Amino acid sequence: MEVLKNDVEIKRTHTHLEPVQHLGSNKNDVEVKGAFKQFGSNVVLNGIDLEVKQGELLTLLGPSGCGKSTTLNLIAGFLDADQGEVYIKGNNVTKVPPYKRDLGMVFQTYSLFPHMTVYENLSFGLKLRKVGKAEQKKKISKALELVKMSGLENRYPRELSGGQRQRVAISRALVVEPELLLLDEPLSNLDAKLRHELRAEIKRLQKEIGVTTIFVTHDQEEALSMSDRVVVMNAGKIEQISTPTDIYNHPKTEFVFQFIGKSNCFEGKVSEVDKRRISVKIGDDITHVDADNIMGNDSNLKAGDEVKMYIRPEKVQIVPAEETALSLFDYHKAKISQINYLGTSWEINVLLQGKSVQVLTSSFNSSWQNGSEVYIGWSPSEVMLVKK
Amino acid sequence: MEPIRSYASQEIEKDLNPIEPQKEPKFKKRKVWIPGLLLLTPILLFIFGFFVIPMLYILYLSFISTDNLGGADAVYSLKNYTQIFTDSYYLSSLWLTVKISLYSVLVSLFLGYPVAMTMAKSSARIRGYITLLIVSPLLVSIVVRNFGWYLLLLPNGTINQTLMALCIIDTPLKLLFSEIGVVIGLSNAYLPFMILSIVASLYNIDPSLDKAGAILGASPFRRFFSITLPLSIPGIVSGCILVFSLSMSAYVTPALMGGANVPVMPVVIYDQINNLLHWTFGSALSYILLATTVISVAVFTRMFEKGKFKEVFR
Repeated sequence: MEVLKNDVEIKRTHTHLEPVQHLGSNKNDVEVKGAFKQFGSNVVLNGIDLEVKQGELLTLLGPSGCGKSTTLNLIAGFLDADQGEVYIKGNNVTKVPPYKRDLGMVFQTYSLFPHMTVYENLSFGLKLRKVGKAEQKKKISKALELVKMSGLENRYPRELSGGQRQRVAISRALVVEPELLLLDEPLSNLDAKLRHELRAEIKRLQKEIGVTTIFVTHDQEEALSMSDRVVVMNAGKIEQISTPTDIYNHPKTEFVFQFIGKSNCFEGKVSEVDKRRISVKIGDDITHVDADNIMGNDSNLKAGDEVKMYIRPEKVQIVPAEETALSLFDYHKAKISQINYLGTSWEINVLLQGKSVQVLTSSFNSSWQNGSEVYIGWSPSEVMLVKK
Repeated sequence: MEPIRSYASQEIEKDLNPIEPQKEPKFKKRKVWIPGLLLLTPILLFIFGFFVIPMLYILYLSFISTDNLGGADAVYSLKNYTQIFTDSYYLSSLWLTVKISLYSVLVSLFLGYPVAMTMAKSSARIRGYITLLIVSPLLVSIVVRNFGWYLLLLPNGTINQTLMALCIIDTPLKLLFSEIGVVIGLSNAYLPFMILSIVASLYNIDPSLDKAGAILGASPFRRFFSITLPLSIPGIVSGCILVFSLSMSAYVTPALMGGANVPVMPVVIYDQINNLLHWTFGSALSYILLATTVISVAVFTRMFEKGKFKEVFR
């Protein structure tokens, strides 16, 4: 054991007693600057710039292969970027190995050490930080209490259920009081009920402890419900960084609109542009869109431009007769093709000029059936346009 | 209170689970059994005829005492066994066999572990190539390989000549016809078994465990001793058992590399049966060797399965 003495001494960038010094980074706990990473000919990260504020829960969301896990591994130190730098609490850690970064991480596969009891798993990091035996015991029982796992100290991971394992994994990450908590799809191995339960619990814990957290997921519901801010990534690039409501209601790109939530898409042509609204001709109908609601880089639309128009199913209003439709800004005659009852709402598919449109509504007219004629409409502020 | 309730229900589930398999109706078991037994009949007959019966016959022989000329008295006695345990020649031969086998185990463990680690970390393609390289010596007959080492280890062989030319030694080292030669031969011959069983174990370790260790602040060195090594113990144990039992019963290598200078048990037994025609005494020696191997392996395995790292065997 003599040889083990040259173990890492983790240098904390600050202790909780000293005032936190942010070297020009203005309360950003993590900064990733211009990260570029290539595996063979496959560009995984194509210029990622990211700032994580102190105490926030930031989610990296995107389809598999979008670079979200690579970004997390870069911050954890498991990967070296080809270009770019990583700062944690104002220190450049680009070349610092993971075991000197003082982070906490929870993995998809729980990753508890199978040959150690719950207690030993938790004390592993504390021992490396030279925490005394009595202090260890105190911290461990507190950490287990946080995740409601007290009393299971002497169990082996094999003897725990999936949810219990992930709770222990979370408390193992937190017990060392890390600078930063990284969560790598921690809920995707759990069943739906447990996932819900732990989702709420992680959110509560994060706020209670106030640890800056980066959460990686491909589940948009998880991202929207848990995060302070969401980073939507696609093909190695960041599409949008914003609050969950902003991401949902004001997506900046076509990808974000399609990836988050459900969407209806129409293809059309701009017929008229004025200061407030853009008129779009879809088939024979004209519909209006707020001039601000343009996604993508090219926001200068002029008459004759080919565009795609997006609207969410729950933003489409559906009414039985033309008289009631008059209250809507734009309305169109459509025919019901399918009705699905979802318990709290109805999902109605209607045909609008031969094209299927999905409508989600909670006000259902009992006379409606397949083939019924209805009117659908929307407000210009709920529709998003993108240049084709 | 939500999580506590779910925890309690999991507990109940866990308690119920072990009962379930016992509730299974018996005929279901039989259904699986009969075709299984049918399929196994040829090998069972083969093993019974060519292994169990000869072994029992040897056991029977070992209890027959003989006169000085080797003729059987057809008297059942423990004479053969008492002779072995009272004659220091046989006891020291047994100890020599155990010692050489242990050395071979240690040498192949220390040479094999790094190879196994390299293999476990490399891509599937590279691992295939390394596996091929590791097992390729097995394609060459052990006798041929032994003569190869002969040339290397002779007093005026390659190794001694090189060392003397470099002025590292003045007189040739006694590598051949010595314990060193036998250990070199045995560990070389059985290294593949050690490597392959450790690889199987290392390969089963979830790579994120190493990441988890790193994130918690453990250096690569610490991670090896706290995570990788303990979790590879099952592979180490099975590798050690393989190399140990193979070394205990090896005849060709000790006979060629050690000759009369290294009278390990298999060599002594061969001598007794083939040269001195002491069939009954040789049979007793065989059973002593077998018992020693089985007991050592059992004690070794039990030591680990009951020891500090018992959890890794589950």
